Amino acid sequence: MMYAIGDNIVCGLGFNTDEVYSSVRRDISGVKRCEGTFGVHEPFMASLVDESMVDDVFDSLHNSRSKSLCRDYTKFEKMMIISAQNAIEKAGVDASGRDFRFILSTTKGNVDLLGRQNTDSDRVYLWRSAELLSEWFGNTNIPIVVSNSCVSGACAQIAASREINSGTCRYVAVVGAEVLSKFIVSGFQSFKALSSEECRPFDKSRTGLNLGEAAATIVYSSDNEENKGNFAFCSGAIRNDANHISGPSRTAEGLFNVLDTLTENISSEQVAFINAHGTATLYNDEMESIAISRSGLNEIPVNSLKPYFGHTMGAAGVLETIISSRAANDGIVLGSRGFAQSGVSCSINISNMTKNIPERGQAPYFIKMLSGFGGSNAAILLKRVL
Amino acid sequence: MMEIKAYSRITADKMVVNGSTVYSSSDGENINLTDLYRHLGIDYPKFFKMDNLCKAGFLGAETIIRDAGMDTVTPKKDCDIVLFNSTSSLDDDIAYNNTIEDDANYFPSPSVFVYTLANIVTGEIAIRNKIMGESSFYVLKEFSSSIIYSVVKETAQETSANAVLCGWADFLNNTPDVLLMLLQRTDDGKIQFTAENINKLYR
Amino acid sequence: MEKYNLLRKILINYTDNIMEQLILELKKQIIEVLNLEDVKPEDIDSQAPLFGEGLGLDSIDALELIVLMEKNYGIKLSDPAQGKEIFKSVETMAEYIEANRKK
Repeated sequence: MMYAIGDNIVCGLGFNTDEVYSSVRRDISGVKRCEGTFGVHEPFMASLVDESMVDDVFDSLHNSRSKSLCRDYTKFEKMMIISAQNAIEKAGVDASGRDFRFILSTTKGNVDLLGRQNTDSDRVYLWRSAELLSEWFGNTNIPIVVSNSCVSGACAQIAASREINSGTCRYVAVVGAEVLSKFIVSGFQSFKALSSEECRPFDKSRTGLNLGEAAATIVYSSDNEENKGNFAFCSGAIRNDANHISGPSRTAEGLFNVLDTLTENISSEQVAFINAHGTATLYNDEMESIAISRSGLNEIPVNSLKPYFGHTMGAAGVLETIISSRAANDGIVLGSRGFAQSGVSCSINISNMTKNIPERGQAPYFIKMLSGFGGSNAAILLKRVL
Repeated sequence: MMEIKAYSRITADKMVVNGSTVYSSSDGENINLTDLYRHLGIDYPKFFKMDNLCKAGFLGAETIIRDAGMDTVTPKKDCDIVLFNSTSSLDDDIAYNNTIEDDANYFPSPSVFVYTLANIVTGEIAIRNKIMGESSFYVLKEFSSSIIYSVVKETAQETSANAVLCGWADFLNNTPDVLLMLLQRTDDGKIQFTAENINKLYR
Repeated sequence: MEKYNLLRKILINYTDNIMEQLILELKKQIIEVLNLEDVKPEDIDSQAPLFGEGLGLDSIDALELIVLMEKNYGIKLSDPAQGKEIFKSVETMAEYIEANRKK
């Protein structure tokens, strides 16, 4: 078990977790219609982070380096650093220590540098982003980048738990970050996967994804020193469908195997809620409902947070874990915005209303699950400690 | 104890399987993955839809899985795939970018876009061989036998895998750089899975 | 009357040829964009189903055919669901292109 002792979110709804969570509680979404953005040929729905605000916040970080280097960091790098620095400050630990490691979760990093003149710059490499992040904090341990499509955020947390369990470090900062670009938006458009309105996960009239940008950090510790833990990470599982590189398994093989493994030693009544991937594509949501049903978890409340943030790819697993943990600590499961009528074949317990969950003693666990291209499926089992 | 049952190494000029060279490119030229595919006598039309990274990783995996006599039909929940590289999917990122760079010739290609994720290579190998354990992909600055060793060991321990297909799969500038190892829990005294041995097979 | 029948025959022959040429052109383009490396145009039955059996194309191939329609013939399919009918076979594709092409 490892304990989350600090976290931070930078996204379209704000620059710290409290601000972002408060907006979600008031049912405010960061998703807006974007026309002409990034030079793509069709409008799209996304939650973007204002670049000038990123610059201002980065400038104001209590660090003399930031002022001189402000112009040299990309939006992606600044968001990562802002998020990590805030989370680390909350955790109150020394990020330069030998017992501290960074794990970065991102799918495309600085890919928008490809279109520009300086293509021999090593900034386009994901390892370089992770290195810049570590360097900012004076940390000399080799950082790892998890690049496992949209399940990366869960995978990075699983990787962190393995590092901590093996005794090689005491603290791990899991940073999930993604920014949007012509590259990413046009790609999803070529897949005809985007909705022209706010996404409606699991709903009968759902028509696809919204996209989003975010940088989210969780600092995990090997123990709950001074009771700083906001929640705990118990276990995780990643499994491949072995079916198709972009379409999910019609029988949800991979995700079912994940949930089956995850809930091996607990009963379903002990799970307060499941935060699904819920991208609002026809196939993903259907597949998730099948996995939930096959695992006997139909009664457990399910929601998707994508209508608030859009799909933030490499950041999603970390961002949505943090928001879910806040809800769990408030004794609630957040309503699934945009849901009105079920559009999936298996009956699952989903509603657009925020509801109370059983007491921590009764239902101490909550689950974050994700799926992604390449047949990847992952879920993590988290525990309420407050 | 995990042992390396079989391994393959693909570099700019040749492919080596379990220590023997199975293919060399023509003088001065870089290895051509399609020529290698044909030389190995594989029949898998989906190969031609893959990007270079997937082609290289697929060929590396195909040879050692066949060599080890692994069952490729029955779904295997106890086999993991754990791969690493340093360029992620940059080779295909550049190809995809070419389909959107020029506004006057803007035709984003879904079949190219889908490969702009490094982990797709683990998916292709999983599909071909019905491997349904954990599939993971990590990006490092450079090849590191110690990191590969410790991450794979921790993974196999946690998932209780009986077999792991792991290693390095990279491709950029027309150059493959692949070292794939099939690990199994056996005691037949072949090559032990250690950081030192991984390093020996790579260099 | 004879002249009329002759003219009619020539016209039908002409449009049949155009369709034949388009079908051949289409087969070559399909082979290229879908990376069907070991398939030749003569291997593709113009009336056989493209998806399911036949060439066994999948969802990504369908999306790539949508790009082909726009790139080579200027036809924009706003709703991918239309694709099911249009991409039934090479012949149905050719008929749709002939009726809607802008290039």
